[in-house]
Amino acid sequence: MTIELSVDEAAQVRLWHRVSQFLFREARLLDEWRLREWYDEMLTDDVRYAVPATDVRDGTTDALGLVDDDAARLRQRIEQLLNDEVWCENPRSRTNRMIGNVEILADRGTHLDVAANVVVHRFGHGRSDAYVGKYRFELVVAGESFRVRRRVVVLDHETLYEHGKLSIIL
Amino acid sequence: MTIELQRPVGDPIVLDDPGRHSFRVDRRAYTDEDVAARELTRIFDRCWLYVGHESEVPGPGSYVARDVGGRPVVMARGSDGVIRVFANSCTHRGALICSQPAGQVRSFRCPYHDWTFSNQGDLVGVPIPDGYGPGFRKADFGLARHRSDTYRGFVFVTFDPQQPLTLTEYLAGATEYLDLVDDQSEAGMEVIRGAQLHGAQANWKLMMENSVDIYHFRALHKRYVTYMESLGSVPPRRRGGFGRALGLGHGANELPPAAARPLAYWTPMFGAEVRPRIEATAARFVDRFGPERAQRITGTNRALLVFPNLMIIDAIAITIRKIDPVGAGRMAITSVALAPRDEDPDIRELRKSHYLTFLGPAGFATPDDIEIIESCQRGYLNRTVRYSDLSRGMNKEVPETTDELPAREFWRQWDRLMHGDDGHHVEAAHPGGAHGTGPR
Repeated sequence: MTIELSVDEAAQVRLWHRVSQFLFREARLLDEWRLREWYDEMLTDDVRYAVPATDVRDGTTDALGLVDDDAARLRQRIEQLLNDEVWCENPRSRTNRMIGNVEILADRGTHLDVAANVVVHRFGHGRSDAYVGKYRFELVVAGESFRVRRRVVVLDHETLYEHGKLSIIL
Repeated sequence: MTIELQRPVGDPIVLDDPGRHSFRVDRRAYTDEDVAARELTRIFDRCWLYVGHESEVPGPGSYVARDVGGRPVVMARGSDGVIRVFANSCTHRGALICSQPAGQVRSFRCPYHDWTFSNQGDLVGVPIPDGYGPGFRKADFGLARHRSDTYRGFVFVTFDPQQPLTLTEYLAGATEYLDLVDDQSEAGMEVIRGAQLHGAQANWKLMMENSVDIYHFRALHKRYVTYMESLGSVPPRRRGGFGRALGLGHGANELPPAAARPLAYWTPMFGAEVRPRIEATAARFVDRFGPERAQRITGTNRALLVFPNLMIIDAIAITIRKIDPVGAGRMAITSVALAPRDEDPDIRELRKSHYLTFLGPAGFATPDDIEIIESCQRGYLNRTVRYSDLSRGMNKEVPETTDELPAREFWRQWDRLMHGDDGHHVEAAHPGGAHGTGPR
């Protein structure tokens, strides 16, 4: 038996597929430390990358988080990670990002609100850590693909007591 | 086991030899579980310990629940406005009476049997009370209240009812630095919501040492130096300033800023737009405090170590860092940002932004600190290398910030408390501290 998709459903499946492929490619570039490529090809010029505090997760902007990078500081972060001056990422961590539950929350024509679950496994300096959280993306539609304008990673951990630090890009 | 046999239990851990400019710490101090257990009873059960800032319990009934010195406590402002610190443990069978990290309540209800305590600690409700005889009095079962006190907004607790020193006496020379922090706003200082809760797989004392160690800055934090250079701020190799021993284990470094300070010290990294506002604030401080003290408040960086486990770092932002031991080889770290309550919103954003750049588990500096102290802890596994050296600056009248005077002050007090001398009594007679207070 074949399942007939309506025109609308087929469009939704195609969009979901394209979004998922985009997120998977992003995960692969980050896992492979192809950070400049990621920055140049997948982000907007006004990108924001944020990781809120583990004890304030309601999205209030007056709180202090763990990461709140604009494009310039994210670029700095990347250059530091790549130039081997970062002691805690030298040698570089091995990472494995597992993405699931990809969901398009809203299609606003020029951009999409996308949610996904993520586990980032990180191995380095004799340690293994898993960062578990939720991605909240704002993707700007750019032809057949997208660019990330807003990238928020809401961690589910109560604390980072086990991890100690967050020296990779989630 | 031969290694252990070479180290009788009574061996000194701190080897302090001023005559030879030698100061060594046996690495058992960081690795030995017996030492860690003794620290809990000799240090954390006796000293005044930082609990939190009064701004974290702003209104009647507001509270925070956290661990202090390995004990779960609740800091609550009662309906009467008084800040109290209670054991977070039901007086009936022991469950936590407060399992939320923060909130605002009229009463705390133990979820086990619904015993209910007012926000002032009184037992006010016991279900099915006829199960107790006539000798049962609610007044005997109020929450256990710890001795607590506040200095300039910083709330401390001691678990030792016999602690001979008041909080102010205990803080000794550290009050001078707490004043310099709290003087930064007439409206009062406040903790910004959002704590950085992390830790390290290393002994807690390594983070205390690291936090007053400026010597490592240009070596370990090359990437932050590179970042500052990209913003037009070039910190010199010798930062200037000086280290101080403040008595009773407290110490500080005081030094010229390496970058801007959001309160009232502008450099180009903050952008031209906020410059007039920041310079106007600086002028107001001169009016309030006179040029010399205003410069010290607004135009000087400082790192204050309050024995045993509080750090206040006042630089590109102000961080309050509370460090708790978890056995010999682990620690929990709680960092929050402190800021003037009446801060201009744009400057508050700059403060938060630059705080995150340097500090916290994802900043451009702290992750390397975490990794390097974990590296030290791993290095101690090779017990052939028995001692760490902390002698820098012993050859000088006034040690620089790249020296290790504040760490030595910490260790001397640690040694006194661990080995039974009541450092509190001894030092009370010499509020400036037994090892000199440096300049000023």
